[in-house]
Amino acid sequence: MSSHDLKPLPAETRSSLLSGHDWIALVFVAMTFLIPVFSTNPQVLSQTNLILIAATAALGVYIMQRLDLMSFAVPSFMAIGGYTVALISMKLHVTDVLILAAAAFLMPALCAIPLGSLILRLKGVYFVLVTFVLTEIVQLLLFEAGPITGGANGLVGMPAVKLFGFELWDNPHVLLTTCGLAVLSFAITSLFTRTFRHEFAAIETNDVLAESLGLAAWKYKAMAFSIAAGVSGLAGFALVNMLMTAHPSSFAPMSSVNYITYTIVGGKASILGTLIGALLLVSATDYFALSGEMSPGLFGLLIIIVTLVARGGVVGVVSGLLYRLVGKTTPLNTGETGHAAQEHANQKEGRP
Amino acid sequence: MLRIDDLHVTYGGTRAVAGVTLTVDQGQTVLLIGANGAGKSSLINAVIGLAKISQGKIMFDGHDIGSMSSDARARLGIGYSPEGRRVFASMTVKDNVLAGAVTLNGREQVRSWDKLVASFPFLAERQAQAAGELSGGQQQLVAIARAMSGRPKLLLLDEPFLGLAPVWIQQISIAVRQMQQDGITVLMTEQMARPALKLAHSGHIMRGGLIRRSGAVHEIKGAALAEEYL
Ligand SMILES: Nc1ncnc2c1ncn2[C@@H]1O[C@H](COP(=O)(O)OP(=O)(O)OP(=O)(O)O)[C@@H](O)[C@H]1O
Ligand SMILES: [Mg+2]
Repeated sequence: MSSHDLKPLPAETRSSLLSGHDWIALVFVAMTFLIPVFSTNPQVLSQTNLILIAATAALGVYIMQRLDLMSFAVPSFMAIGGYTVALISMKLHVTDVLILAAAAFLMPALCAIPLGSLILRLKGVYFVLVTFVLTEIVQLLLFEAGPITGGANGLVGMPAVKLFGFELWDNPHVLLTTCGLAVLSFAITSLFTRTFRHEFAAIETNDVLAESLGLAAWKYKAMAFSIAAGVSGLAGFALVNMLMTAHPSSFAPMSSVNYITYTIVGGKASILGTLIGALLLVSATDYFALSGEMSPGLFGLLIIIVTLVARGGVVGVVSGLLYRLVGKTTPLNTGETGHAAQEHANQKEGRP
Repeated sequence: MLRIDDLHVTYGGTRAVAGVTLTVDQGQTVLLIGANGAGKSSLINAVIGLAKISQGKIMFDGHDIGSMSSDARARLGIGYSPEGRRVFASMTVKDNVLAGAVTLNGREQVRSWDKLVASFPFLAERQAQAAGELSGGQQQLVAIARAMSGRPKLLLLDEPFLGLAPVWIQQISIAVRQMQQDGITVLMTEQMARPALKLAHSGHIMRGGLIRRSGAVHEIKGAALAEEYL
């Protein structure tokens, strides 16, 4: 490599608030606010709702992937967020959407701290297993704690939420609530992962080495676990608000496979991947009318294929193609981390 | 600065370090020489906390660090460059180097970076490149710069010259001398005794997990060079 191939790092990219992919994803999610203006078709509204909830939930997987941790815990924290909101609105008659959103974020985030201190000691496959067991335990608790959770009936008949006293009750307004929660979640996730991107990248690559350089890996893992739980809680709020019911079946353990699939298939190296994965797969599930029992199997197959054939997922493949076509943008400046950036780097060097 | 007392490190049944006692005084550069499997890396790893000590005591700067986590030890002021070019392959060269400076604030990081660039202009030229794309020797340099970037009080260098061309050995030697001028204490291991002996004040020859000979550089030079051919 000769010296005129050098890529000086532009100062503004280094200090910018969010990466390019973060901005694109955020703008894309924010644009869904416009959908109720253009369409009142209930099918379109409910489909958009489902995609946004799926993408928001999958952010929990995306955040943990920044630290090379595979988490099945998303439905557990969605349940904690969703049931918290249902209880507050039904038992305490608090329906202000801002207060409910704060509760839906904080409750799971706080629960995640003691849980994380136990679980995060585990490495690799043990961590994965325990997060999956956690979803089963939460299911059991939802069924068994009848007096609080309504048991097998769930909590039915939630009142509509309000923003500054204005009721958000009809379909378009429910979608607007989901949009707001999704934008909030994408903003929190982007800011969080951007702020600690160097620390996360080091821990993702080699956490033992990172520790020997003074990075307290457990601290970053605990923080990420808590933020991921909070964001999952916001998704749980959106789901419960859409269904007007908090029910155990909304937080089934197998649904964690879906959220993992969205992130991996879309491309786990960038937040855009999570959004695009959710968009494509939720649409495909609807289009092919996949039944509930089939999708985990098919999704599992998809994960295997992507892992074997295109580790960067959809976003990795597309930006790889764009990169080859345009050949201008430097991959390391797009804010990508991990494998995708490495793959680009290899392409640039003409290596396999 | 660093006092190691009757240190034992065992892996399963293997006794890698079998009772080593040594001290490294403030501002000194101490060299550990020994053939493959002598226990040099095990000793270094015990100091930074990557290898568990089964017996003995390690005191650093007045703290008993033997049971601390390795990140806590690093934050006390121990910089560590591992054996065999362990860089964060997908991160840029600059981010790699600054990963060693997590304890410093933004302005101190800038100063630390500027200083390293003055010694190794190569770092500035390649700052935005992924570290995994560099040659082996260049990666070694990045790992050493990373250990230096946090302004440690004690620098642990595990085989810094391994597999490097003379030009690179010279560059690294210059950087180590500069650290010495700044009063930084260095504990380094090396199989290739010759260039390392030029940097050190004193040394220990290790074999089979034990120190066999110790002394000032001129005292052990002959034995060290003989050890190289064992
Ligand atoms: N992680 C480990 N697990 C088991 N045994 C180990 C481990 N690391 C080192 N050993 C053993 O401990 C002994 C000392 O190894 P160590 O790496 O400390 O030697 P060294 O002096 O650094 O050698 P080299 O010059 O080859 O780097 C060897 O017999 C080795 O097999
Ligand atoms: Mg060694």
